[in-house]
Amino acid sequence: MIAELLEVFFVFLTFFMVAYLVRHYIFTLTILKHANKRGKAHNINGLSYQPRVSILIPARNEERVIGRLLQRITELTYPKNKMQVIVINDASTDKTGEIAERYKREHDYIQVIHRKTSEGGRGKSSALNTGLQNAKGEIVLCFDADYYPQRNIVERLAAEFVDPEVGAVQGRVIVLNEPQNLVTRLVALERIGGYCVDQHAREILGLITQFGGTVGGFRRSLLESLGGWDETILAEDTDLTFRVYLAGYKVRYVNDAECYEEAVESWGEYWKQRYRWAKGHMQCAFKHSLKVATSKRLEFKKKIDGLLLLNVYFMPIFVVLSWVMGAVLSFSKPQWFNLFWASIPISLYSFVGNFAPFFEVGIGTYLDGRTRAQWLIPLLIFPFLYNIPICMKALTDLLTSKILGKNDNHWEKTNHSGNGNSYIMNQNNL
Amino acid sequence: MILSPTLTTFITLLFGVITFVLTMFLPALLELKKPRDAGPRIITENSPTCKMWNQLSISIADMEENVLKQAFTSEITNVLSVLPNLET
Repeated sequence: MIAELLEVFFVFLTFFMVAYLVRHYIFTLTILKHANKRGKAHNINGLSYQPRVSILIPARNEERVIGRLLQRITELTYPKNKMQVIVINDASTDKTGEIAERYKREHDYIQVIHRKTSEGGRGKSSALNTGLQNAKGEIVLCFDADYYPQRNIVERLAAEFVDPEVGAVQGRVIVLNEPQNLVTRLVALERIGGYCVDQHAREILGLITQFGGTVGGFRRSLLESLGGWDETILAEDTDLTFRVYLAGYKVRYVNDAECYEEAVESWGEYWKQRYRWAKGHMQCAFKHSLKVATSKRLEFKKKIDGLLLLNVYFMPIFVVLSWVMGAVLSFSKPQWFNLFWASIPISLYSFVGNFAPFFEVGIGTYLDGRTRAQWLIPLLIFPFLYNIPICMKALTDLLTSKILGKNDNHWEKTNHSGNGNSYIMNQNNL
Repeated sequence: MILSPTLTTFITLLFGVITFVLTMFLPALLELKKPRDAGPRIITENSPTCKMWNQLSISIADMEENVLKQAFTSEITNVLSVLPNLET
């Protein structure tokens, strides 16, 4: 009886792995098909649409990078009389507040909100909600302190809101400190696959385009009606993405609205960041899966894609489970031996590269003209393996906290070294 | 010495695995040792398409403003023209 149950579960897991594999093949083929039409993606209808925009910048101990972003904000081409910039100094203990104040004195469209130690440090969502209370623009955009946008990014993102069905928008993230070390190089490859192929294909196919928490924004009226950011969820961006879709709006991805970010530079920081993403994503899966499946506002294809997206962080765990179960079955039932071996290449083929498989990363680098970066693709096996314990720990901790009724969803902030500054200086000198 | 079939299989397998791993990772190791990749990608703000987009955006915005101004001015003129001349 147990062996039969194991067999059913094994087939179920293998089915899921194949489903993700097929999904990524569809994404990659879609991008290849549309590769020649990339230049036509501009939203001509939104060219003259210039609404008042509020830019929220949550910052906690970001003295190494906040000045770089604020300087860039002053260089944006969007009319300054239609821009409101709100820096939320989230109880920083370094010079973040002082630097922001200096920019505030020089530019009247920049505001700084200083949160006290008693109210700060509760995560990005909490800081963003404080910013939202003070936002006056029709559109609310968010940038993390370590980001560095292209000069016309606000025009690009705001243009999409000319369509009243668009509730949120997302731009493309590019790793700035990529040459730093192996970790930054691998994160950059993941980002290329994730944005240039994955997100872009979802936009083309009319599936669930994801708001990534930064380099994007919302229609303020919608954001307020949804109650702002949910402070109990660690992946506040994924949570809002699904709340926007469930409310009947769309999230649009703009591939050529580009912005630099500083990637994590060590495996320890990588763990911290991905653990938060995994746990938050799993929270969203528990919160939204049923709603997505039963929603009358979502088309069938969006439901399927939404469910796969929500449950993506369970997949590294499913992969390990399928290996273990396959091994057990191959010993107890020799005829299963071949199937067990079949599950390994399927899972590796689908998942090497942490949710953006190697062929997606390969096509992304090719389209970006980065053929030499493709040489590093085999090394994506390391983040793939590293994500297995990360996701297992995230699930264990989440289930433990649910069973014990404790909310220990502590926000672990990602530290930024400011090493990206040298690359910005190099590019400005080009 | 004639190797036993088991040992021969083992050695062949080991050799195969080592060759596979080396073939897989050698390019990556070479790129790490002496990077020739041009990354990070330069954001597209200076591309011709982007500049064209900006110019078009600005000109349409200006045009709209001018059209609005003209419409407003002509409206005022029309109103003034029908008013009695108070000076006379």
